[in-house]
Amino acid sequence: MTPVLASLRGLVRRFGSVTALAGANLEVFGGEVHGVLGENGAGKSTLLGVLGGVVRPEEGELEISGQPVELRGPRDAWRHGVGLVHQHFTLVPSLTVLENLSLGRDAGASGFALPQTRVRPAAERMMARTGLSVPLDELVEDLGVGDRQRVEILKALLREPPILVLDEPTAVLTPAEVDSLFDLLRELARQGRAVVLVAHKIEEVLAVADRVTVLRRGRTVLTSERGGVDPHRLVRAMVGEDAATQTAVGLGAATGGVVGEASGGLLAGEVVATLDGVRANRASGAAALVDVSLQIRRGEVVGVAGVEGNGQRELALLLTGRLSPPAGVATVPDGVGFIPQDRTVEGIVGEFDLVENMALALHDDPDAGRGMWLDWPWIRQEAEAVRSRFGVVAPDVGARAEGLSGGNQQRLVVGRELRRARDLLVAENPTRGLDVAATAFVHAEIGRITSVEGGPGVVLLSTDLDEVLALSTRLLVMTGGRLLEVPEGSRTREGIGRLMLGGLQPDV
Amino acid sequence: MPETDLVLFLEAAVRLGVPLALAAMGEAITERSGIINIGLEGSIIGGALGGALGALATGNAAAGVLAGAGAGLLVAMVFALFSIGLRTDQIITGTAVTLGGLGLTGAVYQARFGATGTALTLPTLAPMSVPGLSQIPWIGSALFDQAPTAYLSYALAPLLWYYLFRTAWGLELRAVGEAPDAAQAAGVRVRWVRFWATLFGGALAGLAGAHLALAHAGTFAENMSAGRGFIAIAVVVLGRWNPLWVLVAALLFGAASALQFLLQALGLDLPYQLFLALPYLLTLAALAGWVGRSRAPAALALPWPKER
Repeated sequence: MTPVLASLRGLVRRFGSVTALAGANLEVFGGEVHGVLGENGAGKSTLLGVLGGVVRPEEGELEISGQPVELRGPRDAWRHGVGLVHQHFTLVPSLTVLENLSLGRDAGASGFALPQTRVRPAAERMMARTGLSVPLDELVEDLGVGDRQRVEILKALLREPPILVLDEPTAVLTPAEVDSLFDLLRELARQGRAVVLVAHKIEEVLAVADRVTVLRRGRTVLTSERGGVDPHRLVRAMVGEDAATQTAVGLGAATGGVVGEASGGLLAGEVVATLDGVRANRASGAAALVDVSLQIRRGEVVGVAGVEGNGQRELALLLTGRLSPPAGVATVPDGVGFIPQDRTVEGIVGEFDLVENMALALHDDPDAGRGMWLDWPWIRQEAEAVRSRFGVVAPDVGARAEGLSGGNQQRLVVGRELRRARDLLVAENPTRGLDVAATAFVHAEIGRITSVEGGPGVVLLSTDLDEVLALSTRLLVMTGGRLLEVPEGSRTREGIGRLMLGGLQPDV
Repeated sequence: MPETDLVLFLEAAVRLGVPLALAAMGEAITERSGIINIGLEGSIIGGALGGALGALATGNAAAGVLAGAGAGLLVAMVFALFSIGLRTDQIITGTAVTLGGLGLTGAVYQARFGATGTALTLPTLAPMSVPGLSQIPWIGSALFDQAPTAYLSYALAPLLWYYLFRTAWGLELRAVGEAPDAAQAAGVRVRWVRFWATLFGGALAGLAGAHLALAHAGTFAENMSAGRGFIAIAVVVLGRWNPLWVLVAALLFGAASALQFLLQALGLDLPYQLFLALPYLLTLAALAGWVGRSRAPAALALPWPKER
C-alpha cells in the first residue's frame, strides 16, 4: 500500500486581477512519478509553488505525510521534505556552482564547517549517478542555461527530499540528458519517494509518469493513471473540448511525432546577413567560435542544433550586432528581431508595462515617431495587436510584464520580435516554456513570415531537435564553436545526435 | 626628516584609522547582506555618547566601550526595523537615522551636562604596549602601542574574512546580498540574516564611537563623529567589501588624515585646510581608479521582498 505523501485540496490563489488557482487539487503517492500538464497560465507553476512553499494559497488545505501543514516559505517546505526545482533559475550568479550547491544546507548546525568540502564529494557522486555533469568551480554567471538547469536539479537532488517537485526541468536539456534524468526520477520513485513533474511536452510526461493530473484555468480537470489516457484525451482536457479540434494540428509537432520539411523557404531570396571566417572568444578568453562562415537569405529558416554552450550564444550576439568579431567579417542588417534564451534578462523589463516593453523594441521603427518623440498611441496599438494575436493573457496592455506567467511573457516577446524582424529573426529556443497550442502557433508564425515575399531570414538556435527538424529549410549543427552542415541523408534525430556528439571536445 | 616625526605620523595614522576600520568592517558585513546602512554615522555618535555615559556611570572605560557598542547596535536596530522590517528606502532611512542620531545625542548631552560646553573628563582607554612587538623600529609603536580597540580591529579583519569566505554562514550572507530570492529558495532566512548583519555593523560602529570618546578624545563633544560614518562607507568600497582590504584601506585613510601633522611638523607653509581635504580627495581618486573594477553586492540597497 503506497502512502499519500502530499495532498493539496481546493487551492485558491489570485495575483492581482489574475486568478491562478481556482480550486485545484493534487494528490501524490510515495513511489510514483506524477506528471502535471496544462496550458500556459493554467496554474501549474503556482500549484507547484504552493507545494514548494513559495506561494501561499488564500484558500485550501495542504497535507504532507498525512499531517496538515502551513508552509511559510521554502525553508518550511525543505523541512517537510519537499524539494522544488524552479522553472526560473534560483541560483546566485556571482557564486560558484559548488557554493550554490552548498547554500542553505543545514547551515544552522554547522555554520563554521567548510560547506564546500563536505558538499564536493556528494556532488561528484550525484553527478556520476545521474549523468548530469556541471563544472563545480565555475561561476554560475558564466554558465549557459543548460548548465544552470543541471545545477538546479542537482541542488534539489543533493538534499534527497522525500517529495521532489520539478517545474519544467527538461526544456533546455539534451535528449540524452532528458533520458537519464527520467531514469533517475523513476529510480527515486522506486525508493518510495514522490516525484512531481511539469514538462511542456505531453510525450515526455507520458514517458515517465505513473499518473497524470491536468489543470485548466486553475482547476484540476483530470487525474488518471498513465494507462487510462492517450495524448488526444490529454490535449482535450488541457484546452477544453471546444478548442481541441483547432489545436489538433499543433499536437503532432509538439509531441515530436512530426519530422519533416517546413513549407516556407522555397523562395529563398537576397542575402540579408553574412558571416565570413568569423572567430569569437568567451569572456574567459577561450575560443567560442572557430572560423564560422554563414549566409542567410530572406525566406529561409536556418536551424542550428547543438548542445548548449557550443557557441550558439556568441553566434546570436554576432547576428544581432551586439558582438564585433576579433577576426573575420560579420555583416548584419538593421531590422533584426531577437528572441533571447532568457526573456527575463534580455527580453522584457519586468517593471515596465506591455506598452513600454513594446516601445523598447520598436522605438527606432520609422513608424514609432519622429526624433525624440514617440507615437505612443501607435505603440499601444502594436502592443494590443501582439496581445490579441498571440493570446497574451493580461488584464490589459497597461499591466506590468512581471505579473504575467512565464509562458505569457514568452508570447509577448515572440510576438514583438516577429513584428520587429524586417530582415532577420534570431531565435534562441523560442518555444521554451510554451504549451502545445502556443508552440504550434509560434512555429506557424515563423513559417508565415518566411513564406511571404520579402519576409526575413530566420536563424533558429534550438536545443529541441524536433523543433529544428520541423522548421528548418537548412539544417546546421553547432559543435565546439564550428558550424557543420547536416547532409540531406542525416536529417533525423539520430543523425543530428551523432554530429552533436562528434564535437563535444572542441579541438582548439 | 627627523625620525620622531615619522614615528609620530605613523602613530597618528593608526590612531585615526582604527575607528574607521571598526566601522567600515562592520559596514562591509552589513553591505555583503545587501543592506547599505547610511545611518552608520548615527551609530558612531550614539556609540560615542553611550561610551561616555557608560564610562562615567561605572568609572570604567572598558564598561564604557561595551555600552558604546550596545548604543551603536540600538541605533542600527532602528534602521533595521524600518529598512528590513518595513522595507523603507535604505538611503532615506539611513540619512534620517544619521541626522536623528546627531540631534538626539546633542540633546541628551545638553540635558545631562548643560549647554555651557564644560569639557567632560572621562576615564580613558589607555594604550597597551605589546611587549616585543612594540619595539620593532618605525612601525612597532605605531601598531602595537595603541588602545585595546586597535588590537580588536587587527583581530577582526582575518576573523571576518574567514567567516565571509570559508563558512556556511558567510556563504549565506553573501548569497543574501547577491540574490535574495535564490537564497530564500535554498532555505536561507533572508531578513533574519540581514537583520543581524545590520545590528553587527551597528555594534562595530558603536565601538568606533566609543573609541573616539574614550581612547582618542577623552571626552564627548557634539558631532564628534565628524563624518566618519560616511568615510567608512567609502572605505568599504575601497576595500572591496573584503575585511582584510577594508582594514588596509582604513589605515590608508588614517594616514591621509595624519598627513597634516607630518607636513606641519616639516614646516611646510600651506594652509592646513588643504590637508584636511586630503582624505576626501583620496576617496574620490580611489573610487575613480582602483575601485572602478570592483563590484558591489548585486542586491545592495534593494528592499526585499520586492512584492508583498
